[in-house]
Amino acid sequence: MSGPLFLVLRILLTASLYAFLGWAFFLLWQDIRQQAMLLALRKVPPISLMIQREGSAAQIRHFNQPEITIGRDPACECPLNDETVSARHARLSYHHGQWWLEDLNSTNGTRLNQEPVSTPTVIISDDEIGCGKARLTVIMAGDNLMPPTQKLPEEEKPA
Amino acid sequence: MRRRIVRFLAPITIEGRLLTLAAIFIFLYALALTLSPAARARTWEANYRLVHWVGVAVWVGVFYFAHRQSKRHIPDSDPYLLPLTALLSGWGLLTIFRLTTAFGARQMLWLAAAGLLLTLGLRPAPELRFLRRYKYLALTAGLLLTALTLIFGTNPLGGGPRLWLGCCGIYLQPSEPLKLLLIIYLAAYFADHQPLNVRLLPLMAPTALVTGLALLLLIAQRDLGTASLFIFTYTVMLFIASGRKRVLFISLLGLAVTGVAGYFLFDVVQLRVDAWLNPWLDPSGRSYQIIQSLLAIANGGLGGRGPGLGNPGLVPVTHSDFIFAAIAEEMGLAGTLGLFCAIGLLVARGLRVALHAPDQFRRLLATGLSAYLGIQSILIAGGNLRLLPLTGVTLPFLSYGGSSLLTSFAAVLLLLLISSQPEDEPAPLPQPRPHFILAALLGLGLLAAGLTNGWWAAVRGPDLLTRTDNARRAIADRYVRRGSLLDRQGRVITATTGQPGQYQRLYAYPDLAPVTGYTHPVYGQAGLEASLDPYLRGLQGNPAALIWWDHLLYGQPPPGLDVRLSLDLDIQQIADRTLRNHIGAVVVLNASSGEILAMASHPTYDPGRLDEQAAALHQDPAAPLLNRAAQGRYPCTSMLTELFAPTAGLRIFPSTAPNTSTLELLDALGLYQPPELRLPVADSSPPERLPLISPLQAALAAAAYSNDGVRPSPRLAMAVNTPAQGWVILPALGAPVQALPAEQARLTAEEHIVAGEPYWEWVGQDSRNGSRLTWYLGGTLPDWQATPVTVVVLLEEENSSLAVRLGRMLLEETLRP
Repeated sequence: MSGPLFLVLRILLTASLYAFLGWAFFLLWQDIRQQAMLLALRKVPPISLMIQREGSAAQIRHFNQPEITIGRDPACECPLNDETVSARHARLSYHHGQWWLEDLNSTNGTRLNQEPVSTPTVIISDDEIGCGKARLTVIMAGDNLMPPTQKLPEEEKPA
Repeated sequence: MRRRIVRFLAPITIEGRLLTLAAIFIFLYALALTLSPAARARTWEANYRLVHWVGVAVWVGVFYFAHRQSKRHIPDSDPYLLPLTALLSGWGLLTIFRLTTAFGARQMLWLAAAGLLLTLGLRPAPELRFLRRYKYLALTAGLLLTALTLIFGTNPLGGGPRLWLGCCGIYLQPSEPLKLLLIIYLAAYFADHQPLNVRLLPLMAPTALVTGLALLLLIAQRDLGTASLFIFTYTVMLFIASGRKRVLFISLLGLAVTGVAGYFLFDVVQLRVDAWLNPWLDPSGRSYQIIQSLLAIANGGLGGRGPGLGNPGLVPVTHSDFIFAAIAEEMGLAGTLGLFCAIGLLVARGLRVALHAPDQFRRLLATGLSAYLGIQSILIAGGNLRLLPLTGVTLPFLSYGGSSLLTSFAAVLLLLLISSQPEDEPAPLPQPRPHFILAALLGLGLLAAGLTNGWWAAVRGPDLLTRTDNARRAIADRYVRRGSLLDRQGRVITATTGQPGQYQRLYAYPDLAPVTGYTHPVYGQAGLEASLDPYLRGLQGNPAALIWWDHLLYGQPPPGLDVRLSLDLDIQQIADRTLRNHIGAVVVLNASSGEILAMASHPTYDPGRLDEQAAALHQDPAAPLLNRAAQGRYPCTSMLTELFAPTAGLRIFPSTAPNTSTLELLDALGLYQPPELRLPVADSSPPERLPLISPLQAALAAAAYSNDGVRPSPRLAMAVNTPAQGWVILPALGAPVQALPAEQARLTAEEHIVAGEPYWEWVGQDSRNGSRLTWYLGGTLPDWQATPVTVVVLLEEENSSLAVRLGRMLLEETLRP
């Protein structure tokens, strides 16, 4: 009788080894999940662009994504049907808690408040972006401004 | 919901839960170890093992305090490192307790010391500045200590390389802390000299000098395993620091050159490389260790034999260099794959700590420490698995050895400290690729070890276990009753007696030794014991499910089956009594069924006294171990010319080559074929030459003359007693052959009739190498109403009267109603 009982013990032993490893791997997975959720919590603050072109009325477009490409190409998030705008002209991207403007080697250049943009530059509300002859005004609603990184509720310690 | 998950993942909680799981594993292992003697003896009345529970208590204490310290001082440190350390060191400690209790007790003390180190060391240590500052001091101290072993070195085991510094029963192997100190030095040096534009030579020159110095020391000491580990560690750190892939190639080349040079310069290297490349050539000598290690791994199979139920003690130095083989035997492939996973996880967490490290020094240090743990594990596990040549390094955390345990714990302590400031931004990483490559290489190494383990355990395992140098078979013979050999009336010839654990083979009729043979833990098996081994060992004839179940439970075959032989001890006794003090052989055969009623070969020996006699028996010119009746090869020209061949119409037998029709007759009489029998028999003579035959062949040929020209197929093992169906007949291996026309057989027999008796006989003489042989052939007449019998007597002397007297005695005894 001792043999079968011992067999059960052996199976339990191996099972406990894999319970340890399985639990460790489960926690690693949870860790990845938590990281992903933390990143997902970092919402992109909505941004709106008021587009003004010669000969047409100003129009406002709202964006939720962290990357906005401006250009003549209809595949761009913000397409501009203008001869003076390159196919992929400039990019707005959100990282490090800021919106950044960057020129994508456009033919006619990108300007920020009339200054040419050569390196990625931080933009704020009411800045004016010039792409060719088009002018885009940045509108960020004040109550939408987010702190650079979000604290999780649990990490809030009583002060 | 989110709140719950996040609290759940607080590092210190993870550490606590994982430690609990590790404790469950250790507790179950210890419980299994306690009960293992009962499972081995298959009864509850056994001497239970209890000592190792002290080790468990120490283990619990060490990790309870370490966890408490880490909770208080560094709650944000990596939560996987401490539980993995606990799992591995506890597993190692109990394995060592299981192998040698005295070593286990010592290892327990070392574990307590390592626990003290952890408990004292686990406090905030910003930037590990002191390590960085005193790098040269530390390294010099390490080198000096190692150099001291050249003068004051000892070996706690007595012989062998003198790698230890010892006093008062405490031994330290300085090359172990030297590993750590070298890694610290290299990390500090590379971090201080991290140039923008990496050029290899200035980075290499001083470090190569120091590493080379350490290497020289180790080579002078013949500690070649640690030396190769140093080369690997240095390569990894230089590679990570410089980011140049050519470092790997140069180092590989260097290692190859060193290996070849070492092969010709050092006996140790040559021996190990030879044993690695061709272990099967010298399994009892130079590659004994590795073969025994592979046998242990094969015996472990998929699920392992269970703690305490394997025989890892058969592998030399199993507590240190070969502890992996011991684990593989008792925990099986399932256990070792878990072990590789745990080591892999430890290394992966270590490399993650390196990537998150806030400065270059700590990053390099963490990488070096993780690589050292990973590489050393792969080196020794690979060595045990014959994946790599054997390097005498320890398996970190698991192997016996205080220096090794302390060093491994110190490495984990440093990793924990480096990981304890997750709030700091990780330092920028200019070259991520070396880190990927290192992680991939270490992962591949572990994967290769796992696959090799699977190959030995599952694919090659069953074949390996049948090797004769697998001592587990002899151990199983002590615990499992082996089947008996019985004569045709059920009288015991050979049987197993005693209690489980002390079974012994009892040879009740020792004169039959050349036929029935022996089974011996050192000298192996011979005769019927060898050829009927599958039945006697219970591996054949038992239900497959029973064999599988017993192997699963005990790693042993089920109880063996008794085999009934055709021998009749009454007739056998006459032959043996008469042949005593002569050299010769006797075969008595039932001429129609082929059953062998007696088979004697003299001189004989006592198989129960092999221990003291084996060497003498092997060298005895009279060859008592040889079964003359079946394995002897004797000239038989007189028999051919006077008895067999004349019936073919050839009075004078040509001395060189018989003609075709005679050849056909001799072949039909079986003189050119070995008899088909479950017993070792002599090879047949090549055709076209005069045959050399055994007495058994002569008896089978003579049987044709008593059995209407039909040569029977011989039988010796008649039936086997199976648990499911009772006695099951073992059929003859061959079929009867009509060797010559019945009429011709009758004429020949009547030509040699003995006046007034119901049998024929013939006596003749031959010579072999100048000495004379006497043949006697006799048999019943074809019209004999009862069982037809033939008798063959062969004497290695000129003694016709004895041959005739013995032959007639046997015939009369057999024919008596």
